Amino acid sequence: MLNTDSNSKNINVFMYKFWSDFSESKVAVISLLILIAIVLIAIFAPLISLSDPYDLSKVSIMDSRLPPMAKNFAGDIFILGTDGAGRDMLSAIFYGLRVSLGVGVMSAIFALIIGTIFGISAAFFGGKYETFIMRIVDIQLSFPSILMALIILAAFGKGIEKTIIALVLVQWAYYARTARAAALVERSKEYVEAAQCLALGNKKIMFNHILPNCMPSLIVVGTLQTAHAISLEATLSFLGLGLPITEPSLGLLIGNGFQYMHTGDFWISIFPGVALLITIVSINLVGDQLRDMYNPRLKK
Amino acid sequence: MNILNRILIIMIGCLLSNMALAKDLTVGLKSEPSSIDPHYHNLGPNNSLSAHIFDTLVGSNENQQHYPNLAVTWKPINDTTWEFKLRKGVKWHDGSDFTADDVVFTSKRAANVPKSPSGFGTYLKGKTFVKIDSHTIHIKTEKPYPLMPNDLSTVKIISKKYGEGASTSDYNSGKAAIGTGPYKFVEWVPGDKIVLKANPNYHGALKGKPAFNKVLFKPIKTGPARIAALLAGDVDLIDSVPPLDVARLKKNASLTLTSGPSNRVIYIHLDQFRENSPYIKAIGGGEIKNPLMDVRIRKAISLAINRDAMVAKVMEGIALKAGQLLPAGFHGVSPNMKPDPYDTKAAKKLMADAGYGNGFEMTIHGPNDRYINDAKIVEALAQMLSRIGIKTKVETMPKSVYFKRASAGGPNKSPEFSFMLLGWGAGSGEASSPLRALLHTYDKSIGMGRANRGRHSDPAVDKIIQQALSTVNADARGKLLAEATEIAVGKNYGVIPIHYQMNTWAAKSSLSYQPRTDEYTLVMGISNN
Repeated sequence: MLNTDSNSKNINVFMYKFWSDFSESKVAVISLLILIAIVLIAIFAPLISLSDPYDLSKVSIMDSRLPPMAKNFAGDIFILGTDGAGRDMLSAIFYGLRVSLGVGVMSAIFALIIGTIFGISAAFFGGKYETFIMRIVDIQLSFPSILMALIILAAFGKGIEKTIIALVLVQWAYYARTARAAALVERSKEYVEAAQCLALGNKKIMFNHILPNCMPSLIVVGTLQTAHAISLEATLSFLGLGLPITEPSLGLLIGNGFQYMHTGDFWISIFPGVALLITIVSINLVGDQLRDMYNPRLKK
Repeated sequence: MNILNRILIIMIGCLLSNMALAKDLTVGLKSEPSSIDPHYHNLGPNNSLSAHIFDTLVGSNENQQHYPNLAVTWKPINDTTWEFKLRKGVKWHDGSDFTADDVVFTSKRAANVPKSPSGFGTYLKGKTFVKIDSHTIHIKTEKPYPLMPNDLSTVKIISKKYGEGASTSDYNSGKAAIGTGPYKFVEWVPGDKIVLKANPNYHGALKGKPAFNKVLFKPIKTGPARIAALLAGDVDLIDSVPPLDVARLKKNASLTLTSGPSNRVIYIHLDQFRENSPYIKAIGGGEIKNPLMDVRIRKAISLAINRDAMVAKVMEGIALKAGQLLPAGFHGVSPNMKPDPYDTKAAKKLMADAGYGNGFEMTIHGPNDRYINDAKIVEALAQMLSRIGIKTKVETMPKSVYFKRASAGGPNKSPEFSFMLLGWGAGSGEASSPLRALLHTYDKSIGMGRANRGRHSDPAVDKIIQQALSTVNADARGKLLAEATEIAVGKNYGVIPIHYQMNTWAAKSSLSYQPRTDEYTLVMGISNN
């Protein structure tokens, strides 16, 4: 009882400290609020959308390319207009956010896990194993990520799972490098030596002792890479790879609208573009603040 | 004085060179030909380009009506022999004479080009060419063959002197690209340009002497880039104006837009040969007997398609609703057939009558870079079918992958897809072309149903098509073709037509282009305003 009490107290103290550090930046707080709102929209998209843009029996080509605030024959109002297939843009953006955020977060988590395992183990074991892993990372980082993703998708084909696989394969190297750098510093510290003296298993030392101390930098990279994954997914969808046309993510919505730009039907591209912009910028601002918090040089 | 004189000379020089430039022409093409060899690949862009350099025996004008080209007259002299009289005094680009030997040589070479992805064998199968004198040819067949002029309007005549032993790359380099057409081949830089120059000795069967000294074809793949090049004055004419941009460009006084219907019908093939079709499942994903085997379901699908919306919303009004395989005006078109109305109630009733009242799940396949707005058509189809309870998924892919899988991606080289969007251009300008390729029972040995990807098969239809193909009297043949269409499309729903494509060309305002039903972009069809 006592133990849990002190634990929860510790967490409370930690959270308090975290929040007081984080809230130093007004911009970061606003970004975080926007980000929370976006995540809530994405999660509850089916509840708050006016129509289901993925249900083909509810989407009508007769409603295509209506301008914002227009009504169709049935009297349905389209606040942000409709796209070339007759989808309500607002609902399509909500659902698109769901897909984009889902793909971004999922691939970031998988890449984080894979990258961290390779990075920490490379730092811990060293030698040929480390050289091998880190040279693979170097080679991969020397290719532009969009090129890598294009090649992978061309080989695998379309689909959500395949897009996530492609993003994970592109991004794990960033995490591996960060995890290794952080773990190298930790590895030479006394508490690791102490753990080794106690003859604890390698796995236990790596993941119970070293990993928690690497977390801050991994969280920072993870946040920023999530934003990167979202924009990469949008790029792939814009280019027509990735997701099926009947279930558009933000990138595909922008890509679909792009062909109408000359005709003056601006809303089809612009609104999803704005949604994507807000999402990525707010994630990046939150990530920046986290980085500043954990940067010892900026500590007062 | 001296200086003034010099300035005058320079000015005159500039004027002269400008006049020479005014006779040059640059054309922006959506699709680049895959070869200059006129027999390598029976493909629209190839046939269009080679029509500048080479001639056919029988010409085919913008409405695909025949006119005398290298042959001046043709007629059947008995049931199994056609006589072709050749034009006299025609010179090859190198100055040598055109004779019957060249025609006989062509008939052998055209069907046997190594590595040809799809050649002209269909048009030459079962025909024996016999030289009678230097300007007379007899063509013998086993059975009466009325479509001889149609078939020969597709095959370009090449020079025996240059064609003997020549490979496709000899044509691409220009070594063997010696024709009788209005323009001579200069060079081809793949992906960049094709250059032609006027042939002053052209015989003039098509629009007289060539109007331009030098012609440059530039492949510009994407629509916006093609339009931008035209607006910037980099090119004088472009083909395949995207429907989306037609209305806007029509308002532009510095351009002339011309549109015309094509011989291409956009239609659906439905799997009618597999009890269990790979892309059709019961609601929830279980196995189900292929519903497309039931004509009521096929009819329901046709009734579920809102063709008006398709034309107005997807094609921006630049298309014609289709109820059969060719638009009115072509030979063999039925006067009785109308496009099916949009009637979801009747469609749902048909579905229920056939025992599929709860619907089923299906994936529609289509290309995304072949026909005008192809991916959007598939998406709109998916919406329309969802409304009658067919839960539809959409998969589109580039044509390079799509056609291989659509024709032979399944086991034993059978068609892979269950429900697919395709287009068919009647190269011969007659309803016999789509009927025998798409709706006759698939039989490789007699060259029938070679593009019948749904494997529709009705012996009654086969019989009428066969009968039509050996009927010499044009009117009687037309009636038979119309009858075959009425059964195969109107009653059997062997394929479901959606719309006829329309093509739009845009030129700078001093020029205008005569639209062609075969979708070719021919410099000979450009006139000065």
